[in-house]
Amino acid sequence: MKFWDLIKIANRNLFRNKLRTFLTVAAIFVGSFTLTMTNGLGDGMRSYVESQVKNFESDRVLMVRKKVEEPSGPKNGAEEYKDAPDGDSGLDPNSFLITEQQITSLTNGIVGIMTVTPRYNIGGEYITLDGTKKYKVELGMLSEGITQKTEAGKPISGERQIVFPVGLARTFDPNIDNLIGRTATLGYRNGKDEIVAIALTVVGVATKGFMTNTSSFVDASTAKLIHNDQRRGDTPGKYIGFSMQMDSPERIDAAKKVLDERGFTAVTMADNQKRTYDALGIFKIAMSLVAAIALLAASFGIINTLVIAVLERTKEIGLQKALGMSRGKIFAIFSLESVLIGFWGALLGTVFGIAVGLITNKVLIAAYAESFEGFNLFAFTLPSIASVMLIVSAVAFFAGVMPAFRASRLNPIDSLRYE
Amino acid sequence: MLETRQLSKTYSGDGTDFQALRDVDLRIDKGDCVAIVGKSGSGKSTLMHLLACLDAPSNGSVIVDGQDVSSLSEKAKNTLRNQKFGFVFQQFFLNGRDTVFENVVLPMRIRGESASTLTKDAATALAAVGLTDKTNKRAKDLSGGEKQRVCIARALIGRPQVIFADEPTGNLDSQTGAAVENLLFDLNREQGITLVIVTHDSELAERCDRLIEMKDGQIVSDKKRGEAK
Ligand SMILES: Nc1ncnc2c1ncn2[C@@H]1O[C@H](COP(=O)(O)OP(=O)(O)OP(=O)(O)O)[C@@H](O)[C@H]1O
Ligand SMILES: [Mg+2]
Repeated sequence: MKFWDLIKIANRNLFRNKLRTFLTVAAIFVGSFTLTMTNGLGDGMRSYVESQVKNFESDRVLMVRKKVEEPSGPKNGAEEYKDAPDGDSGLDPNSFLITEQQITSLTNGIVGIMTVTPRYNIGGEYITLDGTKKYKVELGMLSEGITQKTEAGKPISGERQIVFPVGLARTFDPNIDNLIGRTATLGYRNGKDEIVAIALTVVGVATKGFMTNTSSFVDASTAKLIHNDQRRGDTPGKYIGFSMQMDSPERIDAAKKVLDERGFTAVTMADNQKRTYDALGIFKIAMSLVAAIALLAASFGIINTLVIAVLERTKEIGLQKALGMSRGKIFAIFSLESVLIGFWGALLGTVFGIAVGLITNKVLIAAYAESFEGFNLFAFTLPSIASVMLIVSAVAFFAGVMPAFRASRLNPIDSLRYE
Repeated sequence: MLETRQLSKTYSGDGTDFQALRDVDLRIDKGDCVAIVGKSGSGKSTLMHLLACLDAPSNGSVIVDGQDVSSLSEKAKNTLRNQKFGFVFQQFFLNGRDTVFENVVLPMRIRGESASTLTKDAATALAAVGLTDKTNKRAKDLSGGEKQRVCIARALIGRPQVIFADEPTGNLDSQTGAAVENLLFDLNREQGITLVIVTHDSELAERCDRLIEMKDGQIVSDKKRGEAK
């Protein structure tokens, strides 16, 4: 008996009980649909994050923040009440803000520092090219040593420069190359609540990315200017952190260590990226777990279907064995039935999942065109689709092992006598 | 061809043992036409199953063509049954949802024959039982007599040396039963296929060359046709 014959027999057996086969396939379908969607979402988010973080490059810039003591959450058992309201350390701004003097003393003694840029907190009111048409603006600061990727023009490289997001750039001129070198006027509100305008040179248009799709970026010295102007009163500058440009990537580790000893955390862009990917990985695992549970439930459906099929076909199996069919072949027929159920369920699930994912992408872009441009919520890659098919078929195979084994072990006499 | 030596079979289950067959010594030659008769529960089917290598004896041995079956592997026994034996059962054991053709070619499929061989042999076998026109019908749509003829076609398609028939006419009226009997006897006479028929039907038994009577798991008489009772 040839393998192809076995497949034909298995297929015929499945077709004999169309409704039951359909329902079992449907259960597998739900499982593989879920798996396809969660995989697609995970991959989509990954490329989303990738396009976001990859728009900034730097291999020798450290971003430094004060270590914040873990806010003490509710503990098991009783916690002592303190009379003096010394503030929740987690919320007190003084616990994480740092001053310029602190930055100076902190960086003292670290070898290889090229520049130090505090993280200036800035806000803009409007931006305009010709002075009449003003647009709302979101402002960001580019720390020294970090390169931003641009679609047109060049990244920021000097003072009083600005890089536009694509959306804003297109509003000004559909041909974004025309904007490079022009002068833009940026308006912001100063500490006395007056609108101040400064002139900036448009040097580039940022490559699409999550943050860069909405924010315009200015150089650090412009940011400093705006920040100082926006400060209310005479309070010395306080910052949530600062960035440090080193003269070579090799100095990074040593600098991290010193800062750590002084109570500060320092991370590179790569560290941040890694942390995001790790978080994404955990997210993906969690979602896959949901899909796995759906698959597990479906695999019980397969087991159930096949156990019933073995009972139903006891006489048939007995006859086949009496006529000389080997145990292995009987096992193979039942295994193939379960693999076929798994295969069809997986095929339908992935095809349907991909269709739903692609439609969702289209709908999202239609609804939030600007901010989602260039992104897909769901991304489907051949390896991930192939692995879904493989995993589901494998799960189906393992679900079929027990019933198939039972069928193969039937004694021909017992099954021929079976009522 | 077929031989047994002190063949015994004990069924054990539910804590009690039941000896269905006791020390049966029997010899069936090539081309024999043997009827096994006896009261219900006397062990006829048990004996037939052992002869056909469908079950393993508790004691003693079955010898097929000079070879002790107990020394054969599972696989060799499968091949033996597939190539040398054919089976006809009282309850047909046809696959109702499959076509007559599919039912008939099952032994050849198991053997791994090519599609063209299957078509050719099925045509010959179905012609032999007079059911050529039913080839593509579903088995469940046939009458009882036709079903049993399909079973005979399935038994003979593999050119077996022995056909085992357990109450082949048990579910048929006397007229259709006679037709089925005629088919079997023709096979025996014309092709020299050994017949082992288990039956309650004394008329059928009378038509066989040899009559073995069983009682309580033992052979109580073994006569050639025409010998005085
Ligand atoms: N699997 C089994 N377990 C226990 N006892 C069994 C089993 N199979 C058969 N028997 C017993 O063995 C005895 C012989 O059974 P067998 O089927 O050989 O009888 P038989 O002569 O063919 O009867 P019938 O004419 O009714 O078919 C019976 O008493 C039956 O109850
Ligand atoms: Mg019987």
